[in-house]
Amino acid sequence: MTVPRPYALLAELTYRCPLHCPYCSNPVVLKSATAVTAELTTDEWRRVIREAAALGVLQIGFSGGEPLARRDLADLVHAAREANLYSNLITSGIGLDDDRMRALRDAGLDSVQLSFQSDDTDLADEIAGARAHERKLNAAAKIRAAGIPLSLNLVIHRRNIDRLPQMIGLAEMLRAERVELANAQFYGWAFLNRAALLPTREQVVSAREIATTAKARLAGKIDIFYVLPDYYESRPKPCLNGWGQRYLTVNPVGDVLPCPTASSAIPDLHFENVRARALDWIWRESERFNRFRGTEWMPEPCQSCPQKEIDFGGCRCQAALFTGNAANTDPVCTLSPNRAGVDAVLGDLNSSSDHACDWTCRMNPMKLPVSQ
Amino acid sequence: MRMLEIADAAKPRLARGVRLQIDSTTGKSVLLFAEGILELNETAQEILTRCDGRTVSEIVLALAEEYDADPMALAADVRETLIDLQRRKLIELA
Repeated sequence: MTVPRPYALLAELTYRCPLHCPYCSNPVVLKSATAVTAELTTDEWRRVIREAAALGVLQIGFSGGEPLARRDLADLVHAAREANLYSNLITSGIGLDDDRMRALRDAGLDSVQLSFQSDDTDLADEIAGARAHERKLNAAAKIRAAGIPLSLNLVIHRRNIDRLPQMIGLAEMLRAERVELANAQFYGWAFLNRAALLPTREQVVSAREIATTAKARLAGKIDIFYVLPDYYESRPKPCLNGWGQRYLTVNPVGDVLPCPTASSAIPDLHFENVRARALDWIWRESERFNRFRGTEWMPEPCQSCPQKEIDFGGCRCQAALFTGNAANTDPVCTLSPNRAGVDAVLGDLNSSSDHACDWTCRMNPMKLPVSQ
Repeated sequence: MRMLEIADAAKPRLARGVRLQIDSTTGKSVLLFAEGILELNETAQEILTRCDGRTVSEIVLALAEEYDADPMALAADVRETLIDLQRRKLIELA
């Protein structure tokens, strides 16, 4: 099989974060006690960045946790610029003061994706589990003043989906270039809190219409991406454009993953680490990256399906979370023998008006349990 | 969709935060922007490398001369490409 070249690297610099959002995709359980304390050093990240560029990567997203929690962030942005990568900072904005904004701009940062939990301060702070909203508005102003393009990322779920028009209004007010209205995807903390986060069918139908109308109204001004909640779809999302095809993630301790959630969703996959192996070898040769690459691994109904080169069998993490086997067809697909599992979740929610509303806030990673 | 229009006298340029560079893996031109990569076809590449302060009319004339083509026919292609790029916020008009 010819191994494709990757286009984008997600660099998860740290799991540390001042926010406690209940839909965080970070792990709920750590693989080892050192998963927080043994973060890659500045020099190790510099090497990863160089190796990624040599492999064909054109873009890097600095993410986390909160990447601003790393004091060497501007040095890493500079390393990305030197490797000719386009850099994007994916941040809560907490910790972005004038000095750091200037340092990041001078280092060559190309764009910032700033998260908001809602347009409404009280609701936003409740979701974030911290007094964060006003500081985010402040951060947005600093990003604008630095002349760096601003994308907003709003994770949508049952508690805020009815405020979609106001949240689009927030993007207009902040003069964002792009806004991503992304329904929570159920991995990590979001999977744990699914009962409190999944929107009702009625909410989803209405939100889709609002997003479509806004997209047309704001064409040429704000680019709006609306990410559907895939449980309500009949065909799975083309997750990552296929396993090990275009994207790779390096987590805070140097494990290399096809996606940020694979490590916790698929516990039996042990991933290679940049401290032991070259990135090129991990991408091309490692068993983990090749396990679900291409279409040969697919079971039925995917194997004989005309859609198999379109959706790639959906999401491996979702298959693992629902069925215990990452090699199964994504159960969102109505052709999957496991679709009943998704329908049961939707049925429970939509057949009653008595909805769970308690969620577990994302914990400080230092306090997370460690798996065996 | 709201109709976007581009005047002959408009001066298109890459939008803030958009980079035009050569992909060293393929040797082809790509546009890099927030969370996206666009591999350019030859038409788009030829147009974008001329978005350097020239007006739309000047770009059309330069391309017509370069390729010995009819400016009227070319103008429609250029306009279509620019409108598409503008819709995606990859260029702005000065």
